[in-house]
Amino acid sequence: MIAGLARRIATSLALAWIVATIVFLALHMVPGDPAELLLSTGGIAPDPATVAELRSRLGLDRPLADQYFDFLSGLPQGDLGNSLVDDYPVAQEIALRLPRTLELIGAGALLAVVFGIPAGTWAAMHRGGTFDRVASGLAALLLAVPVFVVGTLLILLMAQALRLMPAGGFVPLAQDPVQHLTLLALPAIAIAKGLTAIVFRMTRSSVLDALSRDYVRTARAKGLSPARVLVHHVVRNALSPVLTVLGLQMGTMLGGTVLVEYVFNWPGLSTPLLHAVEARDYPMVVGIVLTVSGLFLLINLAMDLLYAVLDPRIRAT
Amino acid sequence: MKRLWIPGALVAAVILLALLAPWLGLADPVKQDIAQRLAGPMPGSPLGRDEFGRDVLSRLIWGARTSLGVAFAAAAIAGILGTMLGLVGGWFRGIGELLTVRSMDIILCFPPVLLALLVVTLLGPGAGTLILVLSVLYLPGFARVTYAEVLSARSHDYVEAVRALGAPTGRILLRTVLPNIAGPVLVQLSLAVAAAVVLESGLSFLGLGVVPPAPSWGLMIRGARATMEQSPLLLLWPCAALSLTILAMNLLCDGLRDAVDPRTPAARPRPRLIDRMLPGMLPPTERTGAVLDLQGLTVEIATPRGRIRPVEDVSFSVRPGETMAIVGESGSGKSVTATALMGLLPPAARPVAGAVWLGERDLLRLDEPALRALRGGAMAMVFQDPMSSLNPVHRVGDQVAEAIRAHRTMTAKAARAEALGLFRRVGIADPERRLDAWPHELSGGMRQRVMIAMALANRPGLLIADEPTTALDVTVQAQILELLAELQRETGTAMIFITHSLGVVAEIADRVTVMYAGQVVEQGDAAAVFAAPLHPYTRALLAATPDGDGQPAGIPGVVPQPHAFPTGCRFAPRCSHAVAACEAAPVMLDETQGGRLTRCIRWTELANGAECAA
Amino acid sequence: MTTPSATPLVEAKGLSKIFHTGGLFRRGRAVQAVRAVDAGVARGEALGVVGESGSGKSTLGRLMLGLMPASGGTVSFDGRPLGRTSGRDWRALRRRMQIVFQDPYGSLDPRRRVGAQIADGLAIHRVGDAGQRAERVAGMLERVGLDPSHAQRYPHEFSGGQRQRIGLARALASGPDFLVADEPVSALDVSIQAQIVQLLAELRRDLGLALLFISHDLPVVRHLCDRVMVMYLGRVMEEGTAEAVFTSPAHPYTRALISATPQLRPDRRADRILLAGDPPSPSNPPSGCVFRTRCAHARPACAEAVPELRPHGESRRVACIRAEEIA
Repeated sequence: MIAGLARRIATSLALAWIVATIVFLALHMVPGDPAELLLSTGGIAPDPATVAELRSRLGLDRPLADQYFDFLSGLPQGDLGNSLVDDYPVAQEIALRLPRTLELIGAGALLAVVFGIPAGTWAAMHRGGTFDRVASGLAALLLAVPVFVVGTLLILLMAQALRLMPAGGFVPLAQDPVQHLTLLALPAIAIAKGLTAIVFRMTRSSVLDALSRDYVRTARAKGLSPARVLVHHVVRNALSPVLTVLGLQMGTMLGGTVLVEYVFNWPGLSTPLLHAVEARDYPMVVGIVLTVSGLFLLINLAMDLLYAVLDPRIRAT
Repeated sequence: MKRLWIPGALVAAVILLALLAPWLGLADPVKQDIAQRLAGPMPGSPLGRDEFGRDVLSRLIWGARTSLGVAFAAAAIAGILGTMLGLVGGWFRGIGELLTVRSMDIILCFPPVLLALLVVTLLGPGAGTLILVLSVLYLPGFARVTYAEVLSARSHDYVEAVRALGAPTGRILLRTVLPNIAGPVLVQLSLAVAAAVVLESGLSFLGLGVVPPAPSWGLMIRGARATMEQSPLLLLWPCAALSLTILAMNLLCDGLRDAVDPRTPAARPRPRLIDRMLPGMLPPTERTGAVLDLQGLTVEIATPRGRIRPVEDVSFSVRPGETMAIVGESGSGKSVTATALMGLLPPAARPVAGAVWLGERDLLRLDEPALRALRGGAMAMVFQDPMSSLNPVHRVGDQVAEAIRAHRTMTAKAARAEALGLFRRVGIADPERRLDAWPHELSGGMRQRVMIAMALANRPGLLIADEPTTALDVTVQAQILELLAELQRETGTAMIFITHSLGVVAEIADRVTVMYAGQVVEQGDAAAVFAAPLHPYTRALLAATPDGDGQPAGIPGVVPQPHAFPTGCRFAPRCSHAVAACEAAPVMLDETQGGRLTRCIRWTELANGAECAA
Repeated sequence: MTTPSATPLVEAKGLSKIFHTGGLFRRGRAVQAVRAVDAGVARGEALGVVGESGSGKSTLGRLMLGLMPASGGTVSFDGRPLGRTSGRDWRALRRRMQIVFQDPYGSLDPRRRVGAQIADGLAIHRVGDAGQRAERVAGMLERVGLDPSHAQRYPHEFSGGQRQRIGLARALASGPDFLVADEPVSALDVSIQAQIVQLLAELRRDLGLALLFISHDLPVVRHLCDRVMVMYLGRVMEEGTAEAVFTSPAHPYTRALISATPQLRPDRRADRILLAGDPPSPSNPPSGCVFRTRCAHARPACAEAVPELRPHGESRRVACIRAEEIA
């Protein structure tokens, strides 16, 4: 089992390395001179002096291998280069903003699990009933409406029409917990909408599958109470596929945070990211993309390990 | 199919509108008219004007054109390339697999929006960049789906058969594998288009997708957001258009998925409790101290094709220490009978006639809690496939202890000690260690021993064994049969043994019930039945069983399906002794001397060596 | 029954096959599915290969057809070794050897008509034109006891037994000399089993096929086959004429196997020989005689060396150092 653990960690590290390499090479894969590319906006050719200055600033005039080595060696130390806009270290900016994005993701995932799993289980147990039909319909609707539409409409409804909540913003937790949580509510709901729907569906189909299994028949044949059959034999076995899907969907959710933070003015990573994209601040974009992708890989590794805890058959591999 | 029509029509309508946009006589979507900024509905602009005075309706339809154009282009490119990669990877495996499918997995490590933003940083926003990014993002999906389908198709015997016939790889891929992947690829295509629309609109909303003034729903929402307070409707139109289109596409995807992978739709009646049964049972007959007394059990199942009765008018009884074998081939109804006894029928099936007396109580009339107290307690069951009958995520010792604690209050430790004793009793070697084993770590024979231990944990008076050795090797089967016989001698448990093998019946049964097409066709003392069968089916079954002398003779024809049971004798179409009277009317069970039963109108003649019908 | 000719049509010598578990970057365990097996089937002869799960009998069948490469040993067909044939010769050879599978539901492509599938062998090797092929398909369907007009139907319209017949028709359409039947009746009801076995017997007699019949069910093999080979954990335990092996089995495993088979008649039931313990894992087989861990007659000497297949009486070979004593 330790071998399996080590192997999974090694695979994740290898993937992280490949991701970093691709991101590094992306700039060089585009036809044309990288420095010129980053400076040209609106089709106007940039001033050669500025180009040369950028080139030396980013180290683009050095051999590719040197650039790559510098880039890679900087990563474990947390050195992601400096922003082209204000020359501050990228890592600093990310460190400042990352916790707020993580908070949003955490809140969203929590909502999704707390609502999705019980609802999915109940819907599966009473398949075809009213709850099942209503919940499944709601899930389909939630999946269809894009996250930024949900966010915008929430603002329209709660902030404008009903005047129940502010339209966005942020207050540190230490300063005013109640307000902080109030401001967290709408963005968290928005970001949870897709994941909740998916968790609901996955739980429902997984529980339905477990219900039809022979070992559930055995459990009933033993005379176990329905509660025990449900918890110990049905839900316990149904959780694993839900975990897998949770891990995979985190990628979409991480992308969703960009949109939700933008809509609600939540000061996470999306603000510097979007500014950087518009300004072609390549080091900043790279830094954020690497951070979030690394986070994604980490989450999936955790899901993998959790899966092994849940299913002893996996532990053997 | 109904599930496909409505969303399909909606999606088709949107696509049609988008395609025909230039010819619909719409206002110019990019022409600004600041004087009419945020105007309400007016002639020529049924939905009003946006923040730059442009016609909303026109922009909606032209926006559809842009969004769908980008989405379909990206999905098509991803589809063609991804499918090819998946085919190559799945068929050739090894390095080919590594280069194609596995390398695609790298793309999946990037959250989609972020990868898109990275590319937009480098190449600038615009429809072209979007198509490139979206194609790359959806490549892995196609590659994986195709790869999985190819692998699955390869493992089918019919692909191996064609390979054995000497077909070259190209022919196999083209004729055998490709048609099988068409369905899933189509589903994936619809998924990719829907996802692409979402992603494109999100990026445009951020101002980093389609470049203004080209219309796109995402851009419209972006613009309307600024003027949300003054004209909320302006915001709602593109939101509605976007959401409804995506909803229709998602529903279409679901419908396609169902159409491609048809699962038999389970009938969905509301679950009924056993005690809400129809009246009209047979009057209770005397019960002769039997442990179990089945009288006229009939089970009905509601299927899409109508109501069927896989078990009809089945009766038998079992005394303590006795083994009653129920023998029949597929479609005989023997398993349904066993399941009905335990009250474990699926919701679609219910007993509609008869009684099942366990001691003084009719099981069919008991409510669920009472039945539950009996299950695993006074009556227990051992199933056919021990691998799937044990929960793979719990240790086997725990599963046996669970059975004990469900019926008796005791501490976990005491239950474990008792489980240990049971393991020893059923002959599991090294029992202390095995208590903590996982099911997948045990062999088939050992798992079945665990199942038997579980069943005997609470000393049942009745043990129902549903083909317990069918999935086991012959030598292991012998061990298990020996174990069951030994345990029965020791505890005096009555046993019902269901099997399709006459040899097994001859070895272990005191009495036998032969079932065919849902009915009992013969019943009696096992030795007597085998020595002189009174029903042509029993006789034919004996003749078909290879046993050392002479060639086994098959029975021509097939077992009738429950929807189409013959009105007369159900075996008549295959019976070599059938006469016209056999097919005319349903046949009743006849009781012969010695308490034997047979369902054949010609049994007396046959017992005296009558000729076959000419 | 046609007397089988002396020289085998298909001959395997010292055949071995090792499977490696584990993926691309993982070194997994090695499973020896087949070890040093000699087997041969002559024209018109039926050889039964009998064993329980893990015995390697299915793998042996596929090795002898050349459907998978052997890890050791040779297989020759009509004098020519299979390992060294080039692509085109390889495909030409395919015509002459065929296989029927166990699962009647997986062995036919659900999306194609049965007639087209039966004609596959002819189409691939470009035998005849469309009309001639259709005739042959109709002929084959009739030969296996089905209605020729059903060639236009799809597999799901047939029952399990009928699909096995179609599988047989497909295998025999191109006129092979060698047929491997891999548990062709195990998934069928007893009454249908007998039908199919009867059909196989007829076809073998009429077409002079060399037949390799793989099964875990001994009584079925007894009537159909001339010779029988008993396998356990990849090795041959006993081999000889069906009559000899069944009436007086020499190897302890064969005896246990026969004794374990449920008998209809009480007078036939000898004292049951119960094997102790469970079959060992194929990835970790016992040293020396692979059967010794469950054998009532085992001695320390059995663990030292793998017993050779030695002649025992006229028509038999047994791999047991104590065969004479036990008998």
